Amino acid sequence: MTASRQFGLFTIAFAITYPIVYITAMEVNLALFTYHPAIGEFGWGADKPRGGPAMYWYGWMSTSALAALAVGVMCARLPESLTRMLPAALAWVVPFAAMITAAGLTAHFLLR
Amino acid sequence: MSWTSLMTVLLIIHGLSAVALLGAITHQASSVWWPARARAGSFVGRFRAVPSTAYVTAVIVLYPLTMLLGAIIYTHYTIGARIELIQLQLWKPYGVFEMKEHFAAITLGILPAYWYFWQPSAAPQHLRVRAMLTALLAFTVWWSFLVGHIVNNVRGFGS
Repeated sequence: MTASRQFGLFTIAFAITYPIVYITAMEVNLALFTYHPAIGEFGWGADKPRGGPAMYWYGWMSTSALAALAVGVMCARLPESLTRMLPAALAWVVPFAAMITAAGLTAHFLLR
Repeated sequence: MSWTSLMTVLLIIHGLSAVALLGAITHQASSVWWPARARAGSFVGRFRAVPSTAYVTAVIVLYPLTMLLGAIIYTHYTIGARIELIQLQLWKPYGVFEMKEHFAAITLGILPAYWYFWQPSAAPQHLRVRAMLTALLAFTVWWSFLVGHIVNNVRGFGS
């Protein structure tokens, strides 16, 4: 297995894992950290609002990136016999499905 | 320079960066999905006839840069314009901006794959994957650009 192929596997696994974790994080609020813009402070995890609205978006992306990084590195180290079964098309199918899911979860604002 | 002035400057840079990104990804997506068949003569023909690989680095640099600037301004939006949108019950602009936030975040995760599938070594058997990743990026950039523009216009520039 060449380094290029390993990196390819990493990017496919990353592209699959990241949107799944992002949608999960957004639904159950799995933020790695919270930013409180009104007071300019950070808090670990999904912190309660302090002095104004709390921002979880950065935390959701960080959670997703960390999880995708871990899964990507693991996939890149798996033997070729196992990773050959991973279709490259999932690198766009899963993010596309996640975008449709995100649109569905926020569509209620457009129907008010 | 006041905090609001700084945010206005960052908003302008964010907008300029978005325009450059929009140009790069639109050129690339059109040359992938609608390639020029013959020698390009018209404006549209020349637009489609560009070498699509030339835009990969620009997209890889401009997407995170534009998003980083947007993420900084987002704090200002959250404690200002967002609250007003809720108070005024302007749910449609509020909702499309929420979608923009999620689309931009999800698409950020495909950037490594986008870069990989645009490398010459990964090419021939994955042309469809490359085209679809480019299309997802193009859709997100266009959505984000238009929605950002609309939401900014709701409140008015510099207000």
